Amino acid sequence: MQLADVKPLSKVRPVPRWQRNLENVGWYIILSLLGIFTVFPFFWVLSTSFKGPLDPIVSVPPQFLPSDPTIDNYTRVWNMLPVDRFYINSILVTGLVVVFNMLFNSLAAYPLAKMKFRGRDLVFYLLLATYVVPPVLTSIPGFVLAVKFFHYYDKIASVIFPYLSSVLGIFLLRQAFKAVPDDLIDAARMDGASELRIWWYILMPVIRPSLATIAIITFVEQWNNFFWPSLMLHTRENMTLQVGLVALRGAFSNDARGVAAGVVMTIVPIIIFFALLQKHFVRGLTGAVKG
Amino acid sequence: MTKRFSLTPYLFLAPALIIIAIFLLYPIGAVVYFSFTEYNIINPPVWVGLDNYKWLLQDQVFRKAMANSFIYLLVTPIIIISSVTLAIIVNRKLPGINFFRALYFIPVISGSIAVGTAWNMMLSTNGIINGVLLSFGLIQEPMQWLAEPSMTLPFAMALTIWLGLGYYMMIFLAGLQNISEDLYDAASIDGCNRLQKHWHVSIPGLRPQITFVAVISSLAALQVFIEVFILFGRLGGILNSGMTMVFYLWRQAFELDNAGRASAIAMVLLVITLAFSILNIRFLERGTEAE
Repeated sequence: MQLADVKPLSKVRPVPRWQRNLENVGWYIILSLLGIFTVFPFFWVLSTSFKGPLDPIVSVPPQFLPSDPTIDNYTRVWNMLPVDRFYINSILVTGLVVVFNMLFNSLAAYPLAKMKFRGRDLVFYLLLATYVVPPVLTSIPGFVLAVKFFHYYDKIASVIFPYLSSVLGIFLLRQAFKAVPDDLIDAARMDGASELRIWWYILMPVIRPSLATIAIITFVEQWNNFFWPSLMLHTRENMTLQVGLVALRGAFSNDARGVAAGVVMTIVPIIIFFALLQKHFVRGLTGAVKG
Repeated sequence: MTKRFSLTPYLFLAPALIIIAIFLLYPIGAVVYFSFTEYNIINPPVWVGLDNYKWLLQDQVFRKAMANSFIYLLVTPIIIISSVTLAIIVNRKLPGINFFRALYFIPVISGSIAVGTAWNMMLSTNGIINGVLLSFGLIQEPMQWLAEPSMTLPFAMALTIWLGLGYYMMIFLAGLQNISEDLYDAASIDGCNRLQKHWHVSIPGLRPQITFVAVISSLAALQVFIEVFILFGRLGGILNSGMTMVFYLWRQAFELDNAGRASAIAMVLLVITLAFSILNIRFLERGTEAE
């Protein structure tokens, strides 16, 4: 091979520094414009929620910041609606569902991944088949169950029970258990450990990253869950934040400042969580893709 | 195998399977039955044979809902193109790039109810959109954006896209980071400019992610509800302009007390989503075979 053949490599030579800097400035401008596009609705709601009665919601030209900021809108909303109950209910529902989801799903995933038993394939394919069913389809029979059988219509329990287990969760954890070497489990079985002990003391610590993924997915899903809770919860004291926000829109239909305050109160907790656990959120929510 | 029968795996499976049986398996069976009955949830269902399906065939609103749901599928190509572009933009080493990535992810976790409420405020007659347009003299009078039937679907679709962009961006970003640098170097040696490099390397490299996003975003599009509900209210927009299959299902079941008809709509939805899943999986398999 002649040297001349290698020549084209010079095409990938480093660009001069000034050119790279200029290019970076261009990228930052694009990134910032996209950032404004993303953040503007949040900014606008936040600003509106602090506007006093004399600050116009909209004017020509628009007023972007309150000239006389006030927290009156928040206190007004807080006094008219049981917002504290909304928070307690949302935290209760989300917390219980996340914990039981991890527990029940990992219990179910263990035998599916690591035990041989009659009916295993049947269970697996049954789960797979239900996975493609549109969730809304179950709402009609679910409603009937709630009214006629469980008698928990308009009670908090109605938005907890249906979510204590999830097919996606079982699948993700089954994958995680499968990745654990059999030797580890066999050794423990030789030592006479019960399956329950193996599951809790040996396997659960190993699959922690997958459990974190399930926790994050379930957390975001439940915190923002609306369709089913809106069918079930009608007494204000029993509402979750999302259902309460829609009720608030009805009660404050002529009060944009109040609605804005409600939106901010609904979003802030999850944004704080996100800010603290950013990496886990992104990895959790998109990590499920690989399965 | 001479292993003795053990109850252990079934005990592990029991909690999750009981939940799934009650809230997923039973409802699927029940909804099939309800679809052949006249049922308002309060009184017992009355068998009416195929009446609900006959009604579906000639109901104008259902036809509209079907058409709208299929039009809604347009979000899928838009989402793929824009989120791949966004992923390429954020896939570069710049100081602070993680901040921007996190910023674009915020709508994903904020919840469609809160974000939709914010959008509703911005688009209302005295909202900021009108304020800005008036200030620039682009319109003379405030527009009634949310009362314009031809704008109903586009606004709902825009909200869907805006809500999902960050999520899909992260999926594509993960995909891009798995593509070897060597391929890009090889492409530039072959004389590709930057755009060509992405066309010839990034896009083929993202094939699995593109298929995945096509599947999940089109299934979500077929089942859209919240975006229409939160922007346009309980009627689904003026003249049924925002009526989708799930929205109509919800209206028939829970607003008009026709759970039987709603179940028939659910069956149609089930068949369509199943067909979609199978088609998508076919494509997926063909994609992996080629590799």
